Amino acid sequence: MATQIVMDRTGDTRHNFDAKNADALLKAEERFRELTGAGFTAAVRTASGEAVVKRTFDPTADETLFFPRLVGG
Amino acid sequence: MFRQLLRNVKDRFRLLLLSERGRRARALHDRSRRQPDRIDPSLRFVSGFRHAYFESEARGLELLKEWLSPEQFAQYDAKCYFEVTGCHSGKRYRICHGTSMNIYELDGAGRPRVGLCFVPKGYLVSGDVMLAQKIALETDERRALTVANRFFSCFDYSSY
Repeated sequence: MATQIVMDRTGDTRHNFDAKNADALLKAEERFRELTGAGFTAAVRTASGEAVVKRTFDPTADETLFFPRLVGG
Repeated sequence: MFRQLLRNVKDRFRLLLLSERGRRARALHDRSRRQPDRIDPSLRFVSGFRHAYFESEARGLELLKEWLSPEQFAQYDAKCYFEVTGCHSGKRYRICHGTSMNIYELDGAGRPRVGLCFVPKGYLVSGDVMLAQKIALETDERRALTVANRFFSCFDYSSY
């Protein structure tokens, strides 16, 4: 089961989906495009635990984290 | 004689009051350091807000801890801050617990040199903010520094 984690005011919202299911994968890809289009950054963790930013949908990623656009504080 | 006595009593009372005020101020300061430092104003008067607020904070911190390296996790657990390396310059940055004005660029000796402030847009809990800052510095340092505002760092870390 793969997960897309979207940061929000409640901490985060998790969308779990079966990466082997074509429909679920399509929906996840659509969510990815919507969020990145809205300015969110998508990041995944490598096997060594390093964070890597993804510009395109990675169907093999177990966990994708989305955080909003950065602004000066 | 009586006036002198009265003055002495007044002085003692004032000293006692001042020390009591000082104690209260210190207690308040300590408490504020332990408490989360940013509260969404719109939620302040909603009933049950405290429960939801702390639940969200806890969820954010859990997520942060999942994404920290073992070294960063140990550092954060012990000192309430963790350090990251910028992917482009190789500089070290210290991310302190908080939601704004909580990043410090470190010099060669590991001392805070300049403060940096950049945050994810919108209201997020502190764990989420720190995680976004960590990922930004580790994966796209230049972009993070482009949006960051700088502030003079005069924080005394000797108490940590």
